[in-house]
Amino acid sequence: MSEKIYAWLLRLYPSHFREAYGNEALQLFRDRARDEKGFFRSLRLWLDLLVDLAISVPREYGYVQPALIGASTLHRLEGVPAFYVLEGESPTLGALLFGSVLSFVALGTFWILLSHAGGYAGIGVMKSGQSQSDSGFSQQQAPQAGPQDAISATNRPDGEVFKLDAAERQRVIDAAVAILKNHYIERDHAQKMADALLAHKQSGDDDAVTDGVAFAALLTRQMREVSPDRHLTLDYSQAPLPQHPTGQTPEGLARYREAMNQQNCTFERVEILPHNIGYLKLNSFPDVSVCQPTAAAAMASLNNVDAFIFDLRDNRGGEPSMVALLAAYLFDHPEYLYNPRENTTEQSWTHSPVPGSRLADKPVYLLTSARTYSGAEQFSYDLKMLKRATLVGETTGGGAHSGVWHRIDDHFGMGIPETKAINPFSKTDWAEVGVEPDVKVNAADALATAEKLAQGKLQKK
Amino acid sequence: MPKRKLHPLPSSAFQILLALVGEDLHGYGIMRQVAEQTDGRMRLGPGTLYSSIQSLLEEKFIEEVDLREDTKLGQERRRYYRLTSAGRKLARSEAERLADLLRVARAKKILRGAYV
Repeated sequence: MSEKIYAWLLRLYPSHFREAYGNEALQLFRDRARDEKGFFRSLRLWLDLLVDLAISVPREYGYVQPALIGASTLHRLEGVPAFYVLEGESPTLGALLFGSVLSFVALGTFWILLSHAGGYAGIGVMKSGQSQSDSGFSQQQAPQAGPQDAISATNRPDGEVFKLDAAERQRVIDAAVAILKNHYIERDHAQKMADALLAHKQSGDDDAVTDGVAFAALLTRQMREVSPDRHLTLDYSQAPLPQHPTGQTPEGLARYREAMNQQNCTFERVEILPHNIGYLKLNSFPDVSVCQPTAAAAMASLNNVDAFIFDLRDNRGGEPSMVALLAAYLFDHPEYLYNPRENTTEQSWTHSPVPGSRLADKPVYLLTSARTYSGAEQFSYDLKMLKRATLVGETTGGGAHSGVWHRIDDHFGMGIPETKAINPFSKTDWAEVGVEPDVKVNAADALATAEKLAQGKLQKK
Repeated sequence: MPKRKLHPLPSSAFQILLALVGEDLHGYGIMRQVAEQTDGRMRLGPGTLYSSIQSLLEEKFIEEVDLREDTKLGQERRRYYRLTSAGRKLARSEAERLADLLRVARAKKILRGAYV
């Protein structure tokens, strides 16, 4: 039996070796097997053989390959295509069987990998469907399927693959040019960017791109080369973009209201920690028209704390109006909150003081992570710039979503800044770079760190 | 088919040359002789053994003698190998190279004991 196994293993060697030494190798195996009886000696024999196979099989094939490569190079130089026969004999039944099994294993592995990739696509699509409730700066203006969703959703669940052809490229560029000219805040720059897009198209710079994500990134880069505006984006979504943002329809609003009721308006935890430190874990900044009572109740229940921790580590953004509503509790006079999308409006100022609020002079800590995004970054950025809060955690995600969203077609859209909000604090905001924390620690350690900082501060008093 | 490389001489090939110094041997005989002269540290598997034998044959450092029975091992006829004069020369020069190395090692006092 063991001789048969070894004879089968010998097939792994190239035919020239088997022909010359196959019988002798088998003979040597028989000799050793006869002389080395007993469990441990047999085990040692097989270990020797396997090590020997692992070393000598690749080496034997190494002797074959250079000869063939040399020969085929010679023929290629003559420009004559040629096939080479690696083995002089027809394949044996065992070899065919082995090949079949290997093919099935390879195909099976490939199939499993493909199914897994499909699973991830499903998650991506689900995320984009949820985005109205938990991400985006605003339901009206943020794209419902952002570029991040688009990247993860490269395989559509229905198997339909979007193909970027010359006509689609032309359509997207024409639409982008029209949107720039009609809507971009700086007219001169709009014209220059439109010219640049057309010039790149003329010179064939876009022709090779067939991938939607790459094409969107390329056009964004071409526009930003003219005007380095991080709020200007051209995005691609594999999942078809909705004709109208769902949040605007009555059904969409009803769904949103129901979702917020189920999630307590994403006020996940409202607690008083040891040392009378208030802790509010908020996972979005929900619509004030739906969630104002919940927000007021949460803030009221923490009104008598000595320090306040906002946990925004899982907060993906939401409504600027909720940002302003919550920030209002922390000041005793109206404060200007910078929002890159909006010109100075009534909403840009907090309605401070909030009657009855005792939080205006309490130390405030914000917990951030790389997932902290969009509206949550506005809250963090403004409170940091106003020196009203200490940020503890990681640099935030860097999503300003400050452009007004223009749908081009099912797959492409553009975010265009249509207003020029004045940033009183700095020349740049958090778009793409995120908000830097004051105290940089891993998101997982942020709460413990903030608690320690708060306790230290309270003890000093 | 390109020639197999014997420069530098692989230790398995050197051991095979040494095994054939005293007598002609068949494959299993070489394997046992090598195991004996290395205190069991080197047990040549069939792949390594015959691959080395093929290299040494191609370079004419060894030659095939004849097919004959090894009475101790049964009725099977076996191919025997013999060291050529070129093989003997190669084995000697390799041994001298190692002896030179040994001298250097001794001079640098990295060997334990005076006689190794």
